[in-house]
Amino acid sequence: MDQVRNEVEQVFRNVFGDDELVLRDAMTADDVEGWDSLTHINLIIALEKRFGIKFATAEISRMKEPGQNVGHLIASVAAKRR
Amino acid sequence: MNVCSIEWLVGLLAVSVVFFVLPGTRVRQGIFLAASVGFVATQVPDPAGWVGLTAFLAAGFFVARALQRRPGRWLLVGYLVALLAAFVVLKQYAFAKAVLPAALFAHPIAIVGLSYLLFRQIHVAVDAFQGQIGVLTPGRYLAYQLNLFGITAGPIQRYPQFCEDWDRMEPVLVDGEAILRAYRRVFLGVLKVSVFAALCLAGHERLSAALVVTGEGAIASQAKTMLWFMGAFYLYPAYIYFNFSGYCDIVIAGASLLGVRMPENFDRPFIARNMIEYWTRWHRTLGFWIRDYLFTPLYRAIASRWPERAASMAFACYFVALFLTGIWHGSTWNFVIFGLLNGLGVAAAKLWENHLIATRGRKGLKEYLADKRIRVVAVVANFHFVCLTIFFFPSDLERSILLLRRLLGLA
Repeated sequence: MDQVRNEVEQVFRNVFGDDELVLRDAMTADDVEGWDSLTHINLIIALEKRFGIKFATAEISRMKEPGQNVGHLIASVAAKRR
Repeated sequence: MNVCSIEWLVGLLAVSVVFFVLPGTRVRQGIFLAASVGFVATQVPDPAGWVGLTAFLAAGFFVARALQRRPGRWLLVGYLVALLAAFVVLKQYAFAKAVLPAALFAHPIAIVGLSYLLFRQIHVAVDAFQGQIGVLTPGRYLAYQLNLFGITAGPIQRYPQFCEDWDRMEPVLVDGEAILRAYRRVFLGVLKVSVFAALCLAGHERLSAALVVTGEGAIASQAKTMLWFMGAFYLYPAYIYFNFSGYCDIVIAGASLLGVRMPENFDRPFIARNMIEYWTRWHRTLGFWIRDYLFTPLYRAIASRWPERAASMAFACYFVALFLTGIWHGSTWNFVIFGLLNGLGVAAAKLWENHLIATRGRKGLKEYLADKRIRVVAVVANFHFVCLTIFFFPSDLERSILLLRRLLGLA
């Protein structure tokens, strides 16, 4: 899980152009500068490429719903990677 | 029968009083489904309408089941193409009639709630293909598609969310106060539709009727023409808002009384600062559907293949998505203009944001968005742009153009 977290963090840094970005589980889109609907899709595409996984349309929209956070995103990536 | 009719309201109140006194989930499901079918029966005009509706629903169900068992891309693509082609022919789109053989449109089939059935069919097919649908049975599917609280004009609920409530069929309102709030909301909805919307429409009709008079009896002064025009300009959006949000109040509160949580459809739309934000506040379930099933796949396809072009193509994706949303609203030419304006509005909002990021950086954009004076100007400007888009909502395009010509002193 730690390895997945580190790799997801690296993807975030590339997508949002912030080399000092540190992920916390409780983080949401409001806590990351520039995380809007468009960069959300860019982030998903980058994660799919990095991990060789595929997210469904419903999963992508669920990730931006209230109550969802970075911790859930990392868990989804880890679950799909298995 | 409409949701403001005495029959519908009395029926809702009567069923809501006894619904959870009835024993067992299956009995409640049966009554819910029977009520939905009964409501649909009042809307279907003739046997051809029943045949069309049955074929539409059966095709959607069997294709979704097939996609669940074996997710074939070509089956999905073929079904979506056939579905959209059937939709265009059944809706009798004016622009399609201009280019396709007339024989295609010489049919008597009118399917109740077709526009909203289309969204739910696409959602179920795509999500079934992607393994996101769960248990799909004829009963659940029928109840979802014919749900009397969403069949005619939304809100567009997703299948998994509907099934959460359908499987339990238990009260979702936690106490007496919540139940009272739901009844109050039904009443407020009736008030919005029957009084406020009706008054706004009557005012709009009166002013615009006076404006189109030419020759003897025409409004003489330009100042009065301007005043009458502005009245008509603001009253029509007010009518649409009261009518649609009132309808949504009735169906959302009504559904909650029977244990079904329909998604909210409005969130103070006239305080949006641009057209992208507007579509997350007005007819929200449509805006989110468009985001998930039109904008995201389109942008994703471009960004995956040509990442270097993605940023510059985003505004084009916004335009296409909202243009199609506009023309989905109706089959006449005025909706093409409505779609074009909405497409241009969201594309311009995205281009402006890109410009701000390029010239001020992300930090500068944040400061810009936090500035209260800029926000007020943006909200007022966007409100007027929204009114302009809705100006083309009435299907009589000639009349809308004549009103504009009167304002400009050209008629």
